[in-house]
Amino acid sequence: MELHRIGVKFYAKDPTSIQLEEFIPVFHGWIQRQSLAGHLLIDVHDYSHVHNGPGILLVAHEGNVSIDVSDGRPGVIYYRKTPTAQSPVEHLLTILQSALQACRLVETDAGIRFNMDEFIVIANDRLNAPNSEETFVELQPVLAAALQETFEGAKFKLTRTSLDPKERLIITCDRQR
Amino acid sequence: MPTWKETLAAKMDPQIAEEIDAFETQMALRRTGKIDEKVFAETRLRRGCYGQRYDNGHRHDGIRTQELNLPSAMTKGPDTLWDAPGMQRIKIPFGGVTAEQLDTLADLAEEYSDGILHVTTRQDFQLHYVHIDDTPNLMRRLAAVGITTREACGNSVRNVTACPLSGVCHGESFDVTPYARAAAKFMLGHPDAQGFGRKFKIAFSGCKEQACGLTNMHDMGCIAVTRVENGKEKRGFEVYVGGGLGAVPQQAKLFDTFVPEEELLPLTQAIGRVFARLGEKKNRAAARIKFLITKLGIDEFRRIVLEELNTMSPDSRWTSYISSVENYRDNPQKPPAFLNGQQRPEGFEKWFATNVYRQKQQGYAVASVTLPLGDLTSIQARQLANIARRFSADTMRTTVEQNIVLRWVAEADLPDLYRELARIGLAEPGAGTILDVVACPGTDTCKLGIASSRGLAGEIRSRLAGRLFTLDESVRNLHIKISGCFNSCGQHHIADLGFYGTSRTISNRKIPHFQVVLGGKWQDNAGAYGLAIGTVPSKNIPDVIETITSRYVAGRKGTESFQDFIKRIGKQECRSMIQPFMDVPSYESNPSLYSDWGDPREFTIGDMGVGECAGEVISVTQFDLADAERLGFEAQLHLENENYSQADASAYRAMLQAAMSLVKTQSINTKDDPNTIVSEFRTRFYETGILGDRYAGNKFAEYLFRRHDAPAAEHTYDQAHRIVEEAQLFIEATYACHDSLRERGAGGAFVPPVHTGRAAGKP
Repeated sequence: MELHRIGVKFYAKDPTSIQLEEFIPVFHGWIQRQSLAGHLLIDVHDYSHVHNGPGILLVAHEGNVSIDVSDGRPGVIYYRKTPTAQSPVEHLLTILQSALQACRLVETDAGIRFNMDEFIVIANDRLNAPNSEETFVELQPVLAAALQETFEGAKFKLTRTSLDPKERLIITCDRQR
Repeated sequence: MPTWKETLAAKMDPQIAEEIDAFETQMALRRTGKIDEKVFAETRLRRGCYGQRYDNGHRHDGIRTQELNLPSAMTKGPDTLWDAPGMQRIKIPFGGVTAEQLDTLADLAEEYSDGILHVTTRQDFQLHYVHIDDTPNLMRRLAAVGITTREACGNSVRNVTACPLSGVCHGESFDVTPYARAAAKFMLGHPDAQGFGRKFKIAFSGCKEQACGLTNMHDMGCIAVTRVENGKEKRGFEVYVGGGLGAVPQQAKLFDTFVPEEELLPLTQAIGRVFARLGEKKNRAAARIKFLITKLGIDEFRRIVLEELNTMSPDSRWTSYISSVENYRDNPQKPPAFLNGQQRPEGFEKWFATNVYRQKQQGYAVASVTLPLGDLTSIQARQLANIARRFSADTMRTTVEQNIVLRWVAEADLPDLYRELARIGLAEPGAGTILDVVACPGTDTCKLGIASSRGLAGEIRSRLAGRLFTLDESVRNLHIKISGCFNSCGQHHIADLGFYGTSRTISNRKIPHFQVVLGGKWQDNAGAYGLAIGTVPSKNIPDVIETITSRYVAGRKGTESFQDFIKRIGKQECRSMIQPFMDVPSYESNPSLYSDWGDPREFTIGDMGVGECAGEVISVTQFDLADAERLGFEAQLHLENENYSQADASAYRAMLQAAMSLVKTQSINTKDDPNTIVSEFRTRFYETGILGDRYAGNKFAEYLFRRHDAPAAEHTYDQAHRIVEEAQLFIEATYACHDSLRERGAGGAFVPPVHTGRAAGKP
């Protein structure tokens, strides 16, 4: 499966801790310092006026970061847009690292903490990764390997959030204790 | 690996599929340098692929200008990097979008854009931050559901718009939908519409009185009319031509009071042929059809078009659609049923009061879905498509007020519909009210944006949101429209309260401003344009709105409309109202004015210093420019008082004064007579390109030259209105030029500064 458009969303531990507008200057600061490794940060877009949307968006060439409320739960979402010329597991590792770095930066700049025990991974490509059992089965070992390396051997339960074929394949990752 | 091309092959119209393949090939040729970048730019524009802010590879981050080191140095147009995010415009003829199409648009927004669908002021959709490499597949996925992006931009026939109430409106003569659809289909890719010097916009309206079609501001506006011939009702159109907003707005001229339905398409084709043949090609600033009509006069234009019509070979498509027109119907999901006794959820009554229109078909209603700033998320879009499937006809309509309407909702279903819309955050009341602020993308994404139109719109919405139903009724239904620059994409000319972005420089710092435009008329299909009153710092605009609307409520006579009120009190008084908000305090005393709404970056060139003396340093040039602005304002007052010759003379003097202010920066002893000023200005600022900027070029200088070389033989309202507007724009251009020269250390270098204790105020 050739899949490079992948999203990862980590949820805020305290949903009430996020005030969207506060992230506009935060993201402008990231651009000034080009804070996100491996990314050319380009622009900030305010979507705080839409209900349950991308919130405040930081546009980069390689992938976008946003303080997102699209599923009604505030968090940081990272969407990879470009390929990395790596194996599927390495590509996913790169994506997880970028998402985690974005979370760390948000924690540093805004004091927001994130839940690393439950998050979602989104296959943002309906052609190459339709929301089907076949895709899920094919993606599971890739995702499991990337998660194991990222979270130092931790085990995760992987679940499809929706069976609707019109939706993207979204996988909930629950850390198993 | 599967490809969209293969996967969707059976679902795409073969001709459209071939066109997309051709575009993909052109992209490949451009990548290898085999197509000139200018040619490729027009090619992609004709596929709806637009540039976006910062695509030249530079962005000021509030401290310094960063070079955006995108992977490829290749360009997709002059000064436009291949890898820079772009905008994809998607044409939606007459605003008609099906649930299936909305599903696809939502998918594309998620996979190729930022998860947001934006509805434009011409019923299109736009996706932002799209990489050009993704556009062929994006187009294929649209083609598979019957949408083409062809000619969404570029010098072509743009989206054909129509009243969103067509077919259900009480006041319409007949449903214009099938005619709008036929015109869009017929002119799409038509060989006679490929040689235009500029874009060509067509709009349809079912009636003359309401605003929905905005036919008066279009290159070609068609209003449904009927007449009785031999005892039988005959359908036709009152056709207007040459309207337009842009930098210099112009009301459309009546071409014919009745064009029979069978002559509509041939006439459209003939107008296209004349425009392609006689329209300006070299100077984009004078290339819209309105300039051709002004140059020829409407009578001569009409004569040429009718002559052209007689030379054209008949085309079966001219009339083949007409037999099915009367059978055109939307297919409602439910039978009609009146709202009667159903339980009404909290918030329903307010929503019902502003967002529901009872159709002429009893038992059915149109529900407006208010989209804040024209935006909805991909998730909302998909859910809205499902709601339409359940409650409405399959076809929704986008509106020029950047909303979506659901038609053919059984009235009895309205409470359930409201609940469902509320569940996805789309049940906000206030459609068509002062809360429903229209704004173009402005500095958010547009390359031409000067000030943040969306930022200002968002702020106004926030301030009004909780107060809508406590506002005086006379204020509640006013329209606010905002453009980020003079190009009028936000349609500020036809708003009660219109604003367009500009900037001023005080003590070497730039401040975002908006020009206040009052008295435009949304009704009567954009029946009148407002005039500029004065320029106010962006952050003061909400207070300006508060002041003007409060004054209207207090001073209104009976049921006097806002337009009549503004006309009665006069522009001098309007100017007095906003005067307190025009002055700019020093950066040190109020730095917030020096940044724009929703953008913490200082609205300035970061490496510029602050004035060293206690007072402000104002150059003689700035005083001269302020004097030009005064003359421009006097011209507006003459216009208001119907002294057209004096308006013309004052506007001309204003332009001369502004030109002289720049000439004096290079030659202080220039003789103060019109011929010398124009000659010197032409040599020093026009021919050298110093006045021109990269987008507007020298077009504003041409306003001066045209007035100087060919004064009007007779003074009419239209002529005077045009020159007053042109003078305002010319003055803005001289301000911008002066600022630019100062930044480069060239402007006024040998003119001794004058020290004062106040900022550069307006007269």
